[in-house]
Amino acid sequence: MAVAAVLVAQGTLLAWNAWHYDWLRGYDAYANDQYASTVADEHRLPSPDDSGVWHTPPLWFALAGVLRRAALDHGWGPAQRPGQLLAAAAGLVVCVLVLLLGRELWPDRRAFHLLALVFAAASPALVRASAMYHPETLAVALAAGGLLVAVHALRTRWTIWSSLSAGVLLGLAGLTRAWALPVLVAVGLAACLDAWARRRWVPVAVLVATALVLVGPWLANEQLAHGSPLAFNRDAPPGSLAHRRPASFYLGPRTLRALEHPVTPLFRNELVPHLYADWWGDWALTWDSPPPPAPSELLPSSVVSERARQSVVGLLPSVLALAGIVALALVAVARRSTAIGLLPLTAVAVAAAYTLFAVVYPSTDGDTIKGTYLLMALPVASVGVGFVVDTLRPRSRAGAALTVGAVVLFVVVQLPFLVL
Amino acid sequence: MTERRAAALGLVGASVVALAQLGVGTGWSLSHDDPSELELTKRCLAREKGFTIEDPTDDAVAASAQGGALRTVVEGNLVTLSVATSQQEVERLRAGYEAGDPGDRLDVRGRYVALWLRDPTRSQRQDTYDCAY
Repeated sequence: MAVAAVLVAQGTLLAWNAWHYDWLRGYDAYANDQYASTVADEHRLPSPDDSGVWHTPPLWFALAGVLRRAALDHGWGPAQRPGQLLAAAAGLVVCVLVLLLGRELWPDRRAFHLLALVFAAASPALVRASAMYHPETLAVALAAGGLLVAVHALRTRWTIWSSLSAGVLLGLAGLTRAWALPVLVAVGLAACLDAWARRRWVPVAVLVATALVLVGPWLANEQLAHGSPLAFNRDAPPGSLAHRRPASFYLGPRTLRALEHPVTPLFRNELVPHLYADWWGDWALTWDSPPPPAPSELLPSSVVSERARQSVVGLLPSVLALAGIVALALVAVARRSTAIGLLPLTAVAVAAAYTLFAVVYPSTDGDTIKGTYLLMALPVASVGVGFVVDTLRPRSRAGAALTVGAVVLFVVVQLPFLVL
Repeated sequence: MTERRAAALGLVGASVVALAQLGVGTGWSLSHDDPSELELTKRCLAREKGFTIEDPTDDAVAASAQGGALRTVVEGNLVTLSVATSQQEVERLRAGYEAGDPGDRLDVRGRYVALWLRDPTRSQRQDTYDCAY
């Protein structure tokens, strides 16, 4: 009952936000529309002259482009809204998959399922991305689907069908956002470990081959057209990786300001506080706020205080998410469970890939640091939070009431920010 | 290892990481002061424009500005520049000066409230705009 209520509320929230959010305020909105238009109307991939996000894989743009075409044909406006609703639907699917992932791992722990679901649903980065005209949530939904199939197969036994399903889902995820590739690598690695133990390599071969059939042509095209399968819309600066970012990028010296004034331009390009402020709030001011002010201009104090409140609210859940990932790794090692181990492995792969990306492509305006770039880790983080809280919560009636109260508070305090 | 022990260890590990990050932030905050808008403006007017900066001593409105205030001479025209920290404060400073009927000598732009000795030229105003943060 509670699960159904959360999912209905989440579906309503995401649809409402997608309907009311100005599509042009989302990340790369105009470039995304140019891409979708090029794919749908001209049936080709965009060149760097056509769209600034030409380096992004085409699946979401093809779907959004078809919806855009239909909206234009029927006179629905704005033509980008169906693409936003697609992102919202994918955001809801992510929440459902988090729930299913929890049920797959610990079927009888209902409180754990609910905690994981609530954490995912109330994550501001997911809610914001679900309103944007942007491919991120679709990629996360597809990758989380692949992760779920893989966890099920690792818990039971890989079959040709589960290998095919996981390969298709992860391949399509890779065809939507490159952030899905670390998930594919983690699943492939876990499947290899399982195959090594069982002496059955055919399912792994099917999984990898299926994913490569889907994502391979895109990567080959990028290699041939732009010189790298992971080409980006700017050249990496020359020189060693060690010198591309200053020490402040790694250390985050202005971390305390992320709790007090978590908006641009403060602590720009300081990885941890910048990412944290953008995950729990809206560092770049693209959500329910005026655009970033020009020099000398003042931001309304309510904009800053609302985001500061978000930063404070996010402290405990962030620690719990990290704790959960560590705890899942410890449980996986203790039980020799590849199925559980796949989750922290995925989180580490996504975090490592993202950090490498942010170091390889430094930017003066901080546009390569966004909370939504780490959404691929949300399903694992959600399961981690659910696991830690459910495992450590007091079992008395008072303890249960305290846990429920804390979860309700976590959601209610965020509602003014999450609802547009 | 029990699940409870794993969760507890995870919580300890995550807390250590979080506290270390907060420790870095605290250490930096205690040992460094990020320059205020006023300091940045003073630095800009002095270094990039070559103006002499003074503290306004006889201006009760400027003295009450939460972000501080400065006085300088721009192309022969004396200006007192106050920095507000909120829109309400901007309005308070504006009202404080408007009691003296300054006309075009009062120039409000964003968080900066400028009172000129004589009506400023466009070039004089631009010099102060160039050093606004």
